[in-house]
Amino acid sequence: MLATLDYFQISIANGILTDSGVAGLFSKVCQLCFKGKWVHVVFINLLTNSASQASFLFPSYNDALSRSIYTLMSFESDKAAFKEGLRVGAPTWFGVGAWGLVVGIAMIKVGLTLPQALGMTLFVFAGSAQLASLPLIAVHAPVWVIFATALVVNLRFLIFSAILAPHFSHLPWRTRAWLGFLTGDISVGLFMQRYPEFAEEKGKLAYLKALVFPNWAAWQIGSIIGILLGSQVPTSWGLGFAGTLAILCIMLPLIINRAAFAGVVVSGICALLTVNFPYKLGLLLAVLLGMGTAMMLEEYLDGKKEPATDKNQEEQS
Amino acid sequence: MSDWEIWLVIALLTLATFIARSGFWLVGHHISLPKRVQEALRYAPACALAAIIVPDLLLTNGQVEVGLQNPRLLAGLLATAFFLVRRNMLQTIFFGMAVFTYIRLGL
Repeated sequence: MLATLDYFQISIANGILTDSGVAGLFSKVCQLCFKGKWVHVVFINLLTNSASQASFLFPSYNDALSRSIYTLMSFESDKAAFKEGLRVGAPTWFGVGAWGLVVGIAMIKVGLTLPQALGMTLFVFAGSAQLASLPLIAVHAPVWVIFATALVVNLRFLIFSAILAPHFSHLPWRTRAWLGFLTGDISVGLFMQRYPEFAEEKGKLAYLKALVFPNWAAWQIGSIIGILLGSQVPTSWGLGFAGTLAILCIMLPLIINRAAFAGVVVSGICALLTVNFPYKLGLLLAVLLGMGTAMMLEEYLDGKKEPATDKNQEEQS
Repeated sequence: MSDWEIWLVIALLTLATFIARSGFWLVGHHISLPKRVQEALRYAPACALAAIIVPDLLLTNGQVEVGLQNPRLLAGLLATAFFLVRRNMLQTIFFGMAVFTYIRLGL
């Protein structure tokens, strides 16, 4: 059992480090769920106990809820919790900073001025939403389309915050508001590792703060260096393409099953065909069609759960 | 886009982040998402990102270019393969940029 727990922790940590954050947690979670059975159990505990809203991710494993095999010592003081949070978060700081650097360069390359780019990184503080908005800004898409796109790209945070929020529901609403805002992918991942289940424990808040504050600082430092650096690099180098590649790296781990793959294909083709639609409306249409396809396919595949059939389809695709 | 429009976009992006990240922290215990919505939540981000990058990879000056002589497409495909093997975002970006630059300079 101990070996399994180690494996679980190492896998999560690896995932966060190697995917350098954005969607890393989500992807690794999904990957883990296709590996060992115990890992299944641990993780489902994690999800279902922390927030019932999140249990939809793995509906067939709800029965694992009753099995609890994950306990950790609680902290003696807030100070100890904060220290431990710093220790656990430190290895991710470099990756976060580098990811900020890429986004910083991309913002300048799309033509934002220095104050605009600084404003965006300081206020928005969401790499994938920022990256997604840049091509739209470049083609003068309507403001509401950019807003809608950013909302859709940010949807994964709804799932994450549903998992995390119950831990802190006792705090005043102002604290909850800014704490939630600052809690990105990596912080959620590391926090869930330590507190997989809801429990009244000392030091939880200090631990989360120790994860969130340095994460914010690393992101901003990387971003600002990127913004300053970006304006020194000639446009002909095509550094904006780094933004496209970054989005690609966020998207790939989100393709969690065949339904998602079909959705991505349909959405991509539709976006291509409708690229000349006014106001970039083709983009929203593409997302809706892709989502619809994925959901329909999921229903269809759920309908026929014979393993043999599944295998055949896998080979065909 | 004019200066004020960019700032409006920044304000709205901030709002979009706030809704997604802080929404549940503020009102989470009052709502539970319908099953349909939960399913859609799982697939929407990947679809949105695909809709953004596919035209980026395939269009050259407004024309669809599917051949391997399209440097963005080729770099994107190789970067995809690289990412699936290495699972590392930063390495993938460096690799993709290297391929893209190599083709662009006609080496």
